[in-house]
Amino acid sequence: MKKALTVFLVLLVAFSVFAKGSAESKKTELNVIISQYGNYTQDWWPKFEQKFEENNPDIDLKIEIVSWNDLYTVVGTRISTNQQPDILNIDTFSDYVADDLLVPTEKYVSDAVKNKIFPGFWSANDLNGTVWALPILASARALFYNKDILKAAGVSKVPETWDEVLDACAKIKAYDSKIVPWSLDISTDEGQAAFSYYSWNNGGGFTDAKGNWTLNSKENVEAIEFMKTLIDSGYTTANPYTETRYPQQDAFAAGSLAMMLGPCNLYDIASNVNFGVASMPTNGGNKSVNMGVCDRLMVFKREVKDENVRLAAISKFFDAFYDEKTYAEYMVFEGFLPVTSDSTALLAKNAEQFEKGGNAGKGNSKYFSDFIAILGACNFYPTAKPEWNDVKQGVIKAEQEACIGKVSAKDALDALQKQIVK
Amino acid sequence: MIKIHKNDISAYLWLVPSLLLMSVMIAVPVFTVFKMSMVEISKSGVIKSFNNFENFKNVFASAAFRKTLANTLIWTVSVVGISTVLGIIIGLVLNLDFPGRKIMRAIVVFPWATSLVIQALIWKYILSAEYGSLNVILYKIGVISSYKNWTPTASAFFAWECWVGIFVTVPFVTFCVLSGLQSIDNSYYESAEVDGASFFKKLFTITLPLLKKNLTVSTVLNIIYVFNSFPIIWTITKGDPADQTHTIATYIYDLAFYNRKSGDAAAVSVIGFVILCIFATAYMMMTIRSEKEEDI
Repeated sequence: MKKALTVFLVLLVAFSVFAKGSAESKKTELNVIISQYGNYTQDWWPKFEQKFEENNPDIDLKIEIVSWNDLYTVVGTRISTNQQPDILNIDTFSDYVADDLLVPTEKYVSDAVKNKIFPGFWSANDLNGTVWALPILASARALFYNKDILKAAGVSKVPETWDEVLDACAKIKAYDSKIVPWSLDISTDEGQAAFSYYSWNNGGGFTDAKGNWTLNSKENVEAIEFMKTLIDSGYTTANPYTETRYPQQDAFAAGSLAMMLGPCNLYDIASNVNFGVASMPTNGGNKSVNMGVCDRLMVFKREVKDENVRLAAISKFFDAFYDEKTYAEYMVFEGFLPVTSDSTALLAKNAEQFEKGGNAGKGNSKYFSDFIAILGACNFYPTAKPEWNDVKQGVIKAEQEACIGKVSAKDALDALQKQIVK
Repeated sequence: MIKIHKNDISAYLWLVPSLLLMSVMIAVPVFTVFKMSMVEISKSGVIKSFNNFENFKNVFASAAFRKTLANTLIWTVSVVGISTVLGIIIGLVLNLDFPGRKIMRAIVVFPWATSLVIQALIWKYILSAEYGSLNVILYKIGVISSYKNWTPTASAFFAWECWVGIFVTVPFVTFCVLSGLQSIDNSYYESAEVDGASFFKKLFTITLPLLKKNLTVSTVLNIIYVFNSFPIIWTITKGDPADQTHTIATYIYDLAFYNRKSGDAAAVSVIGFVILCIFATAYMMMTIRSEKEEDI
C-alpha cells in the first residue's frame, strides 16, 4: 500500500511538472531589457509586467532592468552569444542596423501607436527610408540659473550671449570666489553634450543640412575655444575633464553653482533653490538652440518557432506601453518628457493625477507644458548615422586635448574630421 | 626508470577538479580573447572574420596606447617600489614593542580591507578643488588663503592616482614584512649586538637578507596585482583628460565599452597578457628555485 502511494505521488508530481511545462510552453516569451533611468525605474516596470501579463495571459513578459553603466557590456555580450533580447531600450540603433540585427518598426507597430508619436521623433529613427526604433522618452536641456546668486552678484539680466555669460561669470566670481559661476562637463561620460550646446548656438554642429559631417567647421572650433576660455578664466569647476554632470547638478541644487546647462529633471533636483530656466546663450547673433535627448526601444531578430506570433506579442507590448495613461504615468514616475501626442496633452493638463517615483509627490503640469514647448525647438544628436559613436568619442577627446592645451581646437577637430570622413 | 606509485595516481586524480576548473575559468577566456584579437568585431559585438592582425596594427599606431604603456610602467614601478619601501619601514616599526601596537596594526589594515572603489572615491573628494576636505582643512588652519586645484594637469592627476595606489598597497607589504620579521631568530641580533653592529648594519646584513623570500613574494604578487588594477584610475579619472591617465586595464575597458572597439581591446589584452606572463614566469622560477634551495 505504502509503495503504491509513493508511486502515485511520484507520478502526480511528474504529471504536474509536465502539465505546467506544457502550459508554460504555450506562452510566448518576450525578453525586454530596460535601461535604468533613476533610482525607481525598477519599481515601475514590475507593476507594468504584472498588469500586462494579466491582460495577455498568452505572453510571458520578462523585463530586466540594466543600469546605463552596464548596458553596453550586457547587450554586447548577449549579441556575441546570440542571446539578444526581443526588445531593447538604449540610445542608438545604427550599429545594430549595420549588423542586420533589428526588425523594422513596420513589422510590429500598430497604426494607433505610429500616429500618436510626434513626427520629429518618428523620423529621427529613419535610416535609409526605414524606421528601425521607437522613441521611449525625451529630455530637454536648457539654461538653469540661480536667481539669488545672480541678483547678489549684480547680474541684472540672464545671459543671452556668450559675452554676457563671461560678464556674469566675472561678477559672480568677484562676489564669492567659492561659488562656481558656470557648469561644464567635458568628461568621457557626456562631453559630447557640451560640444552640442556651444557649436549649435554658434551656428555650427555635427553635420550640415545634407547630413555631411562638418566637425572642423569654424563655428565648432570657436565653440571649443569658448569652453577653453571658460576653464582658463576659472569660471567652471577646476576639472571639467573628470567632473561629470551629476555632481554639478548636486552643486546647483546646493546653491554652490550659479548657472548650468542642464536637463529638465533638474527642475525637481534643484527644488530647494530659487532658480529660473532660460534658453541657451548664443554667439554671433545666432538663434538659441536647446538640446533634446531621446532614447529608444528597438526589436531584435531572433530565431523562434513562429515569428508572426512573436511580432504580434511585441505589438501588444507597445500598444500597452504607449497607452495614454500608462505612458503618462511612466513619464511622471521618471520625470522625463513624453513623445506621444495624447499623453503630452494629458500631462500638460493634469500631471497631478500621477505619482513621481520614490513617493516624491505628484506630477507638475507646468513642468510638462514648459519643457514640452522647449522640446519642440530642440536639436538632437545625429544618432542615426553609423559613425555616431566614433564622432561622440572623438569630439570629447578633441575638447579635452584642446582645453588642456595639448593641441589647438582647430588641429584637434581637423584630425577628427579626417578620421571620420575617410 | 621512474616508478609511479599508487599514491601518485590518486594525487593526480585529486587535482582533476582543479585542473578542470582552471581550464574552464582561465584557459577558455584566454583562448577567446586571443581569438577576438585577431578577428573583426562590429560595434554591436558581432564577431566577423579574421582581419589580418588589423587590431594589433590599430593599437600600435595609436598615440594613446603608447602613452598608456608608459603610464602602466610608471604606475607599476612607482606603486610597487614606493609601497615596498614604506611597507618595510612600517613593518619594522610595528615589529617593535610599544604600547598600542595591536591598535596600530589594525589601523594599518584598514586601507587594505576597504573596497578600492570606496577608497578612490574618498580620495577624489579629498582632492576636489571646490569642496575637497584637503582644501577645507588647509584653509581653516590658515595654510592656504584660497582653495587650490591639486590636480591642475594630467600629470598631477596621475601622480595622485599613484599615491592612492601606494596607500592601498602598503598594508599588504607591511604584513608580508611583519610575518617575515617574526620568523627571524632573535639570537642573530643578539650576536650582532655583541659584535657592536649598528642598526643599519643589522638591517642590511640580517633583516633584509632574511626577509628576501617574503619581499620576493609580495613584490611579484604586487606587480601582477597593480599592473592589472582597474578601480583606482577608473574611479578618479577614467583615463581623462585626453587619454593621458590610462593604464592598460582602464584603456582596455575604455576601448571595449566606450569606443566599442572590442577587437582592439582584445589586442591590448593580449599584449598585457604577454607582459604579465613574463612576470608570472619569473615568479614561478623564483619560487621553484627557493624551494630547491630549501630542499638542499
